[in-house]
Parts: sequence; structure tokens; C-alpha cells
Amino acid sequence: MIEQLGNGLLLGIIIAVASVALSLLYGVTRIVNFAHGEIIALGAIATLFLSSPIDSRVLFLDRFSPLGNNFYLSVLISVLFCGLFGGILEFFLFRPLRKAEVGNIAVLVVTIGLSLFLRHIYLLLNAKPQNFPLELQRRQTYLFFDMTPRNFRVLILGIIVMVLVGLLLNYTKIGKAMRAVRDSNDLASVSGINSDNIILFTWISSSMLAGLAGVFQATINDVRYNMGFLILLLIFAGTVLGGIGTSFGAMVGGFIIGIVVNVSVGLPFMEGHTEAKNAIALAIMIIILLFRPQGIFGEKERLS
Amino acid sequence: MSNNYLEVTNLKKSFGGIKAVDIQSLKLNKDQLTSIIGPNGAGKTTFFDLISGFQDSDNGKVYLNDKNITKSQPYLIARLGMIRTFQLTKVFDRMTVLENMMFSASNVNNDSFLKSLIKLPSQKINEKNIRDKSFEIMKELNIEHMADSYARELSGGQKKLLELGRSIINDPKILLLDEPLAGVNPKLAEEILEIILNLSEKGISILMVEHNIEAVMKISERVIVLAEGKVIADNTPENVRTDENVISAYLGSENE
Amino acid sequence: MKLTFKSSITILLTIFSISLVFLLNDEGEIPILFNLLTFAGIYGLAAIGLNVHFGLTGLLNFGHAAFMGLGAYVTILLIPHAAGREGEITVSGLPFFLALIIGIISAALFGLLLGLPAIRLRGDYLAIVTIAAAEIFRLLVRDLESITGGVYGIINFSDALQQSRPVFINNFASTYDLNPSQMWVAFLSWVSIFLVLLLLKRLTNSPWGRALRAVREDEDAVRALGKNAVWLKLQSFMLGAGIAGLSGVLLAFNYGTVQVSTFIPILTFYVWAIMILGGVGSLTGPIFGSVMFWVIISETNGIAQLIFENANGQQIAGVRFVLVGLLIMVLMIFRPSGLMGKKEELLLDVK
Repeated sequence: MIEQLGNGLLLGIIIAVASVALSLLYGVTRIVNFAHGEIIALGAIATLFLSSPIDSRVLFLDRFSPLGNNFYLSVLISVLFCGLFGGILEFFLFRPLRKAEVGNIAVLVVTIGLSLFLRHIYLLLNAKPQNFPLELQRRQTYLFFDMTPRNFRVLILGIIVMVLVGLLLNYTKIGKAMRAVRDSNDLASVSGINSDNIILFTWISSSMLAGLAGVFQATINDVRYNMGFLILLLIFAGTVLGGIGTSFGAMVGGFIIGIVVNVSVGLPFMEGHTEAKNAIALAIMIIILLFRPQGIFGEKERLS
Repeated sequence: MSNNYLEVTNLKKSFGGIKAVDIQSLKLNKDQLTSIIGPNGAGKTTFFDLISGFQDSDNGKVYLNDKNITKSQPYLIARLGMIRTFQLTKVFDRMTVLENMMFSASNVNNDSFLKSLIKLPSQKINEKNIRDKSFEIMKELNIEHMADSYARELSGGQKKLLELGRSIINDPKILLLDEPLAGVNPKLAEEILEIILNLSEKGISILMVEHNIEAVMKISERVIVLAEGKVIADNTPENVRTDENVISAYLGSENE
Repeated sequence: MKLTFKSSITILLTIFSISLVFLLNDEGEIPILFNLLTFAGIYGLAAIGLNVHFGLTGLLNFGHAAFMGLGAYVTILLIPHAAGREGEITVSGLPFFLALIIGIISAALFGLLLGLPAIRLRGDYLAIVTIAAAEIFRLLVRDLESITGGVYGIINFSDALQQSRPVFINNFASTYDLNPSQMWVAFLSWVSIFLVLLLLKRLTNSPWGRALRAVREDEDAVRALGKNAVWLKLQSFMLGAGIAGLSGVLLAFNYGTVQVSTFIPILTFYVWAIMILGGVGSLTGPIFGSVMFWVIISETNGIAQLIFENANGQQIAGVRFVLVGLLIMVLMIFRPSGLMGKKEELLLDVK
């Protein structure tokens, strides 16, 4: 159980960071971004690309590792790159769609196409799962759970990031503007800041968070082309559980889902059925939607 | 049977601490044309949503002809003969005007999957009757010439007419009209008022929310004034006009 | 179908894409063509089911693979088959067509079950719930190895269908050197498409179809007029899911085996691409969309060879999915009405 709780906290922090990112984007733009998983994967893949030679036949990537000696710098640049990528997506894809008054449903379908497209571009670049160039570590016990020192740092860093996001949303001008847009459902009502810039900033920050979540996930497990897609449904579950559109809710929901997935492995009826652990989290999401569609912290208005 | 079609007791609804509706007691008389007025955010539309089942109240009871309809489903309330319209006109954009009307006229039985699959002759006869009735109403409302246009091609006023036509095609006992004159040009507004008066004379009980005070005063038999979710006046148009509370809360500010 | 400008163009494009098969391949054109027409029939049928959900009722279903899978597994488990690692044989079973009907009804009931929590919610929630339910289905199929065979799958169930194969299929197949089993499945797929289209034509022009379109346009107004919008949506969900179940059965018999990997999310996205290409809301559109889609898919091998020297299976699949993703995006942005969709009835601004 102690091992599972540690794993649960780690998965929880990944999902929490990614859920906050997804929820922020949904709150401000009303886009349900199915390509969120691919931005997560991008964070991990870019880090791998920068920090180590990739086992790939494409584009001579196997002879290329520009920042081979500096893993942390690679992470930093990758996260910034994810932000840039999110900005590019907004600027060249989603802003024109918004200006053309394309409906939310059509945009949702576009993100599904984008997700398929990006995911298999990654597949073509490097199909094999690969680990970050980090040395193996032994688990240690921290309080009532145990994990490797590196993973413990991931957990702490994740918590710090969540706190920073909270501060950003509550105490900066742009953060307040983002919340105002989210809560009023009406871009025009926010004066002072250009709504296009708010949305651009939201895309950038959401993508940076997603990229960071990807780096976390790859540090704990490994890098693979579909890593974002595999975790996307759990992120949806976390977001929905907390209440879609609420950042705090997404964070708590993400943590709960992460812990549920791992701790459920220890339940008696799950013996020999570890593969189905994600099914429990998804089932919880569906049940939540049945009885409390606004999630734990959401307001009721989002019902049909 | 009492003389009220609608009775509301202790009805409360708040959003994030702000009281949108807080009505101790309200009874609406049969065969009367009653209007609700009040400043923006007074809770008029929320009140409509609560009595027509589109929102659940936090507290209180709603009776329709002595039947408890609190937290009942909107379609069940509609089937009891109380039909509402919407402030932002809701027509079926990508269906023709005729289809809009026929859908409304068609009942659950006629719409059934099995009947539609087997194409029973009775359904065919039914459809013909519905079609005739739709044309009858469209003629009355002067939108007959638009029968085959998509509803989204209609002007704002025509959409209001279509929505009204859709609402009356099944001979409701009670009509809840949410701003039937909003965004309608003055000439058409006159026509719509005329239609509403006619419906009232035919014996349909009408409850109307409207911003156009002049129109309200002209046709209503009773005017209820809401402010911050509370009833602050409830009287004949003449008396409401001179009510001090109303003037300070609403009419006064309008005259400035 | 009236021969309008749009449908003429669509038919021409379809003929052109079929002729591409002959232009791009030096040998074995006939088997390639019939193989892709088999898949086109099965997937086209699935896309027609999806169109009932999305095109007709505005329901965002991203769990289509699960409906297809449920129909297939139920049908196969009711007829003689061999399942799992050991290939455990079940000899007795129902006649094929009885099992098929139970399979279709099960898929429809699964639609009802799934619809209950999802259908009261706004469109984008439904997308999340259906995709999650499909994932739960996939995980359960993998986990319940004693029933579904898990990753080892189910085999040896084809006889139940193939023993009813008529002689003319055999003759046709031997003339062109084709696989008779596959041709029987292909034949049944296209016959199913024809029958399902007849059924839908009847339904969409009926008061029931009118009510569904009203639900698609504005649920609140439907409720306010005394109609039970939830029940209408559930009926639509069941009908589309039943059609998906039928197509899933055909897909299973085309492969001759089913595994966990047969009914995965990618399958749903294929069907979506076909529906959008053919035309959202158009009855016949998905057929043409499906044929063109499968021409593109069957030629990705060549495209992959252009990019990679000696492309392996994974690279070909990668190129294929990149193309499908691109197709979905480009169509949705530049031609959301697809080949046959009506611009006037397009669902672009649905909340």
C-alpha cells in the first residue's frame, strides 16, 4: 500500500498539472482540447531530443544531442518550446477559426484531427519507448510513502508549480483577466486587456504546463509517442471530477484520480486485474457526471 | 377548483449568494393578462425558468391548477397546458417555418419511432391535419408566405411570430411570454400586441415579461413589479404607475 | 438520391479514386479493389450509424468503436468459437442470424446505458463520456480473458456465417481469384448499407426524424413545447449504436478473428473521418466518403515508401494516421459539409 500511495501521489501530480492546464484553456476559450495529450508528449519528446541521442532512423536524430550534458537546461528549453508551440497553434489555427466564428463542436473535432496528426508524427520520428538519460536510483521512505529521490523532487516541484499557478491567477493582472473571462463566459465584458492577448497567453501557459507534465511523466516512466494520449482520459477525469473550468477543482480532481488509479490496484476484487485500474477512474468520472455534472467544485450553470 | 391557475409560495433561488428570486406568495388569476416588469436583473426570467421547470428552485412550491409542479420536468409542465417562449427567440434554425410549426403541433403519439417506421395510415391523416392547422395559424400570424424558408432566414420579428405561433398551435391554457416585443420594430410590435390581446380574449391566461412599459400598461389587466427578486408592487396598471415604491425603484430611474 | 451537381461531382470523384487503384498499382488491382471495397462497405455502414448520432441529432459520440465491439463480441460469443490462449472451444451456439440480432440489440442497449448519464449533458461532456466508456470497454475486454480471450482473442467463429455462403459468391470469387469468405462479408456489408439506408430514409422523412432534427437545433425549445428531448436523444443513440453493432459484426467476420486491438479508439476516428468526408447529415454521403477514404488508405503504402526507404509496418501505419488526422482537420476547417452535406443544415455553431 505504501508503494501504491507513492505512485498515486506521483501520477496525481502529473494529472493535476495537466488538468489545471486543460481546465484553464477550457475556461477561457471553451475549447475541449483533445490534442492536449500531444502537447504533453511534446514536452517529454523535446527534452529527450535535446538531452540524448534518439534511437531513430529519421532525420539523423541518432547523431544529434545538442544539450547532451545538461538535462535541466533541456527541460527548461522544452517547456518554453511547448509554450511557443501552443502560441503558434493559437495564432495560426485557433484564432483564424475563432474569427471565422467556427462553432465549438467543429473546433473540438479539429483538435481530434490535430491529436491524431501530431501523435503519429511523433511515431514517425521515434517509435520505440526510451528513457531519459538519468541514472537509476533507489527508493527511499519519505513520511508515509516511498519513492526515489528524483521522483520526490518531481512531486515537490509539481506542488511549487501549482502554487505559482494559483498566485498567477489570483494576484497578477493577466491572471485576473483570465479568471474574469472564464467566469463571465463573455470576452467582451473584460475591459483593459485585449481578449486575443488573454487567449494567446492562456494557450502559452496551458501548453507550458502540459509540457512540464509530460517531462514529469517521462521522468517517472519513459518517453513514448502516445504517452499523452494514454493519460489524456485520466486528465479529463480529473478535470471533470473537480469541475471543468475551475483551476483549484482540476488540481484536486487530478490528485484524486491519480491516487485512485494506483490505490485501486490494492483492492481485493482487483486482484489479478491490474490492467483495469484506469477503468475504475473513468467509471468514477462517468458516475460523477451522472450525479453531479458540475464536479466537486463547479457551479451548476454548466448543465445543458 | 380555485380561480388561480398558478400559485407560488415561498419561492427562492439564489446564485452565488445573490438572491435572484425571493417571492413569498403569488397567485395568478385565470383568464387574466398579467405582466411582470422590473429593472434588469430583477429575476423576471429566472422566475419564468422556475415555474416552467427549466431551473430548480432552492426552496418553495409551485402549483399549476392545484397540481404541485415544483421541480417537475419542463416537458411535463408544458403538457399540462402551460407553454413558454424565450427572451432570446428559440426557433429551429435549420428547419423550415412549416416544419417548425408541424413539429410543435405533432404530439408524442404521432412522433413515435414505431409509427414512423411502419408509416401507419393514421399517421398520414394526422400529418395532414397538422399541416392544415399549421397553415391556419401561419395565416393568422401573416408568416404563411415564409412556410418553406429556413427559420434562420427570418427577421427578428418574424422569429418572434413563429415562436408565438408554435406556442399556440396546441391551444394552451396558459402562455408565458418572455419579452415578446424585444428587438421587434414598432409596427410589428403593434401587431404582436394585437395578437396577444386576441389570445387573451379567447380565454388563454397570459403571463408576460416585457420591458416596453407603455405596451404593458396598455394591454395588461394586472402588473407585477419585481426588484431584486422581490415583488414590490402588484396592482392594476393605473395604480402601479403611481406607486411610490415602483417609482423610486424602477420607473423613476427610467425617467431620468 | 437526385442527381444534383453535388452528387454528380461526388460520383465522378469516387470513380476517379477507384481508377487511381488501377493507375497506381501494376498488378493485383482487382484483389486490392475488392479488399478496399469490403472495408469501405463495413466502415461506411459504421459511418451511417455515426451520422444518425451526429448528423441527425447532434450527439457527439466518440465511443463508436465500443458499440461496434460490443455487437461483435456478443454475436461471436453466442455462436461456436474458440477463445483465449488455449483456444478453448465452444461447440454449441445459436444460429448465426439469431446471434446477430441479439448482438445488434445488445449494442443498442449499450447505447441506452451509456446515454443515460451522458445525454443530459452538454455536447462536449458527451464526447468525453463516450470516449471514456469506449476505453472502459477496451480495458474490460482485455481484462476478462476467460470470456473474451483477452489479448489472445477469439478465433474459429467464421464457419457459422460462411456455411450459408451462396454458390454465386464462390463462382464470382474464383473467377477473379478472390477470397470467397471475404466476398461474402463484402456482399452482406453492401446489402446491409442498402437496407439501412432504406430504413433511415423512411425514418428521417417521418415525424420522428423531424423531432430529432428539432432536438439537434434547440433542446430547450423542444422541452418547452412538451416533448421529451432526452427520450428522443436516447432513441437516436440506440438506433445509431445498433447500426454500429452490425458493422462491428461484419468487421469481425472480415478479419476472421477479434482481439483487444480490433476495436480501439483509432477505429472511431476512422469512422469520424469517413463521416465528415462524406458529409455530416447526408444519408448517402458516408458511402462515397468511405470508398474514397479507403482508396487513400490503401495507397498510403506507396506514400510511405516515398518518405522512407523500405518503410516498415509501423511507419506505414504512422503515415496513414498522419493523413487521417490531416484529413479531419482540413475538412473541418475548409469543407465541413464534406462531399454531400447540406451547408444549410450544417452543425457548426452547435453549443
